Amino acid sequence: MTSLAKPKILVVEDDADTVEALRALFEHEGYEVLAASDATSAFELNQTEKPDLIVLDIMMPSGTEGFHFVWRLRREGDEACRDVPIIVVSAIHETFPLKLYPDESDPVYAPNEYLPVQAFLDKPAEPSQLLDEVRRLLKPGGAAAVD
Amino acid sequence: MTTPPEHSANPHTEELTARISWIIRLRWVAAAGVGATAWLAPRVWGIDLPAVPLYLVTSGLAVYNAVLWSIKRWLPAVTRGLGLTLFANLQISIDLLFLTALLHLSGGVENPFVCYYVFHVVIASILLSRRATYLQVGLALALFCGSAVAEFSGLLPHYHVTGYLGHELYRNPLYVTGAAVTVGTVLFFTAFMATSITARLREREAEILGLSSSLEERASELQQALDGLQRLEREKSEYMQHAAHNLRSPMAAVELSLAVVAEGRAGEISDKGSTMLQRARVRIGEVLNLASDLVALSRAREAALAVDSESVDLAHIVRNSEAEFRQSAEAASITFVTRCSATPVEVLGDPGALTELLRNLVSNALKYTPTGGEVRIELEEGEDGVVISVADTGIGIEAEEIDRIFEEFYRAKSARESGKEGTGLGLSIVKAIAESHGGTVSVDSEPGRGTTFRVSLPTARSAVISQART
Repeated sequence: MTSLAKPKILVVEDDADTVEALRALFEHEGYEVLAASDATSAFELNQTEKPDLIVLDIMMPSGTEGFHFVWRLRREGDEACRDVPIIVVSAIHETFPLKLYPDESDPVYAPNEYLPVQAFLDKPAEPSQLLDEVRRLLKPGGAAAVD
Repeated sequence: MTTPPEHSANPHTEELTARISWIIRLRWVAAAGVGATAWLAPRVWGIDLPAVPLYLVTSGLAVYNAVLWSIKRWLPAVTRGLGLTLFANLQISIDLLFLTALLHLSGGVENPFVCYYVFHVVIASILLSRRATYLQVGLALALFCGSAVAEFSGLLPHYHVTGYLGHELYRNPLYVTGAAVTVGTVLFFTAFMATSITARLREREAEILGLSSSLEERASELQQALDGLQRLEREKSEYMQHAAHNLRSPMAAVELSLAVVAEGRAGEISDKGSTMLQRARVRIGEVLNLASDLVALSRAREAALAVDSESVDLAHIVRNSEAEFRQSAEAASITFVTRCSATPVEVLGDPGALTELLRNLVSNALKYTPTGGEVRIELEEGEDGVVISVADTGIGIEAEEIDRIFEEFYRAKSARESGKEGTGLGLSIVKAIAESHGGTVSVDSEPGRGTTFRVSLPTARSAVISQART
């Protein structure tokens, strides 16, 4: 079990090239990368592998599967893994005019109407920005895992 | 009897019913007048009239009118069964009989009240067809001449009205003939004029009816065409958004892969390779921006078709975006100034679209303003609307290009020569958003000195008023 010290990132993304790019990016930084191409297998993988972080796409082959995945995970996931931090990386704002991430200065949407995720980046994400978010979210949990 | 030409059954029936009520009211006045005259004549003017027969005829007139009124009021089925036109014809004929009887009892041909036949002819012209009117005129003339001849020849007694009329005029053949000719010509001429005027009025009425129905038809055709165009526009917009999104997805994957490799995150890479990959990223970025702008443009156009309006505070939008703009301005060493009221400045619209509008104008201003320049946002609320202006001290636009800069993909010469990237869609987006909110965009520019864009939007209050008008 050599990967015990490495934080695990689950990439949920239907585009294989994007998965490979993210894998290269995260592995280069020393993370272990798992990948799922749809919401169902992502849910299973999260239950069995208990990743430290999920990087999630919203638009997948059968529509906005990412949304479904987030809510199912938060409600039905095992207690040990349902609160895993999630970073959404999606081009959803291109086709969808609603804002899906918290912006406290915006009075239009109440906080509980947002998707319960920890970060939201518009596609294509800047690698350095994505890594900043990963590091920020892995800090407390990641340190514990390494211990 | 012929019925008058019917253009449309209902309006004509209604009109005839109203006119019949009107004649019944007039007849009350006539009966009261005759009764009063018969009572006053011997007492006030010392005129000797055959009182009993006159009262009898007057009572007959009143009873007859009461019967008509009751039929009209309580038995509308009878008038319908009889036909309104026949009902009107009968009334006029009976009225002529009453008039002739009254005239006969008050001096016959000698009585100047013979001119009252004219009233009946005018009423007939208004109510009846031209032919029926002339038949009534014939009846009037026959009754007048018949009674005159009967009195002249002694078949009917002559009621001489002493103290009022000349002696024995009814026995003067020249006078009787003259009176008959006068009454005859007056009646026919009156009938001619009155029926002509009525006919022309009816024609006009028919024309107007026809015109209004064909206008309605045209309006509904136009509405259908408009609905079709709007559906097409929506389909076009959906297609464009779909295409842009499908273009974006692979480009986003390419961009990410290039970024990871170019930044050396997938292993060592030569400086030359890194430079080339970075340049490739810039080009991919152009495609991504184009796809974004196409989506924004088609979304703004769609908004024009179905504005989901809510009250939006523009001052809040300006303040909210300020930090982001200020950061870009500072990075480019440009002075950034905003002047905007602390109180809400409300318009009706879509907050996302209005933010997009402001962002496009400001990013344009920042892009084409050289280091050391100034970009200024001002928000002013006036009587008839809100004006957002974005002024810069940038490269400016040539006067002859001003009209073209809102065209899709058009980039001013100065912008192209500046070496800055742009899709040429930003101002089209601004214009589409402004127009979908019932507003306008104007621009003042001087090459080398700067440009000011002004977006005028109706306030929430005035927008409600103009919507209520339409």
